[in-house]
Amino acid sequence: MKTYELFIGPQHVGITGNFSVILELEGNVVKKATPNPGFLHRGFEKLMEMRGFIHNVPIVCRICVPDPDPNEANYAMAVEKLLGIEPPPRAKYIRTIVLEFSRIASHLFTFGGHAGSIGLYTIPNWTISDRDFILDLFEMLTGGRVYHIFIYPGGVRRDLPDGFIEKAKDVLNYLEKRLDDYNKLYFDSYMFKKRARGIGIINKEDAIEWGVTGPNLRASGVKADTRKDDPYAAYGELDFEIPVLTGGDAYDRIMIRRMEVVESIKIIRQALDNIPDGPIREKVPNPMRFIVPPGDAYVKVESSKGEYGYYMVSNGKDKPYRVYIRGASMTHGIHILEKLLPGNYLADVSQIMFSLDVCPPEIDR
Amino acid sequence: MVEGVVELIKGNFSDVEIVIPEHQEKRVHISVEKEKVKEIAKFLKDNGFRHLSFITCVDWIDEGKFELVYGLYSYEEKIVVLIKTKIDRDNPKQETLLPLWDQAQTYEREIHEMFGVYFDGNPGLTPFILEDWEGIPPMRKDFDSRKYSQITYDSEAK
Amino acid sequence: MLESFRGGKVARWFKGRSMWLLHFCTGCGAIELPPSMTSRYDLERFGIIPMASPRQADVLLITGYLSVKTLKRVITTYEQMLDPKYVIGFGSCTINGGMYWDSYATINKLDYYLPVDVYISGCMPAPDAIFAAFLELREKIEKGEANGYKLYKIHYERYKANQDKVFKNRGIIEGED
Repeated sequence: MKTYELFIGPQHVGITGNFSVILELEGNVVKKATPNPGFLHRGFEKLMEMRGFIHNVPIVCRICVPDPDPNEANYAMAVEKLLGIEPPPRAKYIRTIVLEFSRIASHLFTFGGHAGSIGLYTIPNWTISDRDFILDLFEMLTGGRVYHIFIYPGGVRRDLPDGFIEKAKDVLNYLEKRLDDYNKLYFDSYMFKKRARGIGIINKEDAIEWGVTGPNLRASGVKADTRKDDPYAAYGELDFEIPVLTGGDAYDRIMIRRMEVVESIKIIRQALDNIPDGPIREKVPNPMRFIVPPGDAYVKVESSKGEYGYYMVSNGKDKPYRVYIRGASMTHGIHILEKLLPGNYLADVSQIMFSLDVCPPEIDR
Repeated sequence: MVEGVVELIKGNFSDVEIVIPEHQEKRVHISVEKEKVKEIAKFLKDNGFRHLSFITCVDWIDEGKFELVYGLYSYEEKIVVLIKTKIDRDNPKQETLLPLWDQAQTYEREIHEMFGVYFDGNPGLTPFILEDWEGIPPMRKDFDSRKYSQITYDSEAK
Repeated sequence: MLESFRGGKVARWFKGRSMWLLHFCTGCGAIELPPSMTSRYDLERFGIIPMASPRQADVLLITGYLSVKTLKRVITTYEQMLDPKYVIGFGSCTINGGMYWDSYATINKLDYYLPVDVYISGCMPAPDAIFAAFLELREKIEKGEANGYKLYKIHYERYKANQDKVFKNRGIIEGED
């Protein structure tokens, strides 16, 4: 049979953002796939070399749109390692609370996207409405719904306002009860199990060789998490588990994100109960002439999509010499899609992309 | 442990420079010549460092050199090793890591497009992010982004 | 009477109450569109729903910055939409470049390449600001002032010259070799 070429182009309902895949199809089955990134390119690494160390703090959060806080935490940690300072304990607990709420919000967005791609349109309406309660908490704490500009080299920008801890606990209780509703509607439904099992399988050896990280790696059987292996913020003092599943298909990748939401709720409750008193900021050099001694550092955090790393080089002046941003979707969006898509039906292309949680702004920067 | 990794590398390669950076735990930085990179990467991959995190490039224009940085990670030891090497800026060439890791294609394509480094043995160095770009590679230090933006985007065509 | 119905006041009153958006997430501002469509803010009571195909949509929402690679596809999409059509510029990046004003890959003023009817300022605009912009567009339609699509045809040479300047000059600073 002859093959024909089809663009799942940038204007499409079934892709996660502004991204394009060029498919070669024979009938209904994909034979070859070539991802085409670059529609969201802004030249971030060049922009960061032209601005001072403090002027970079407001623009860094715009690199990953659904989950912006790991970017701020990475940038702050890289500058702190080069300066040789540590944030105070209260700031570390507040950073943990902000990062975990951002993880829950991003996973809710993924559930909605994946359910919409297999035809269950009620679930995006529910999850995006529930995500709005978390955005209200962010507005109370930082002033902005989506981009926070809150984590700063040396600590955090502002202390917890009055009434924040009670309101946060109400939101957590509400989300925990809602997980039962989602079980009945989505996670235990016959349609989800029939469509998602056996699609896009990655086995354990291939996952490490191809560079898969994050929840996708834990769904293939490898127990690895930066929060336990290389602790940052307050994770070294809190008590939580790392769930692992062994199937490696789209069903397991969605179920492991549900298990992570349960663990995140546990972490936030512990942090809210045990938060210590004290200052929220460490003394940094004069912000008008912020000079960092020469050196280089590689720091990484566990974002909701995988391993997110920054490599920063400084040469003793007041602007960074080079900043390299390793987005978590660099491997998921390009190399893994080329390997997983051939052999599947056209109707499953969108489902595989949502279950891998490909985020195009991280690839293009 | 970090000392174990340092012993392992020193025992098998005698002329590398090993630095353990201060204030950073679980990191080892080694500097080698460009011909030894593939050998050391293969040795580390056989000893547990199976995850390739990233490959990137830094432009040291005053010295006239590019510096390539490779990041490797081991899930058993939980340590990140950075391999750094310097190549000539006027004729930048390096051997490819494709035979060891298939996914190095993404990073090598990006460095070829943004800095102009050529990787011997890599057949697929096609444009990755930019489309129809004809000037010098944009991440080099002698490309002035502000001036280009002012000329192209701030005024209408005559 | 049929002529006055088709182009006249009654037709414009109906058009202002049924504006279908095109589903195209061009930049970072697109993250605030799904919350506007849920039951807390509810855009559908104003007659606004998302539509997948450009042949059946009325409004093109440029959410945020545009890189040159996306601008080519946006212009193809805009020329595929049928008259009457409207463009809303969403965020500060469409007005003067925003925080990417010195980047080599993003455009600075959207008005040079496409005719814009309403701008929303902010980074990022909250759902309340999106509602204010759609109501202002409805007022403009009822008065007969939302004529971007007619201006595109009248001044087509000027828009095409601006687009070609950006597409053809890729990476070469004028005056250098």
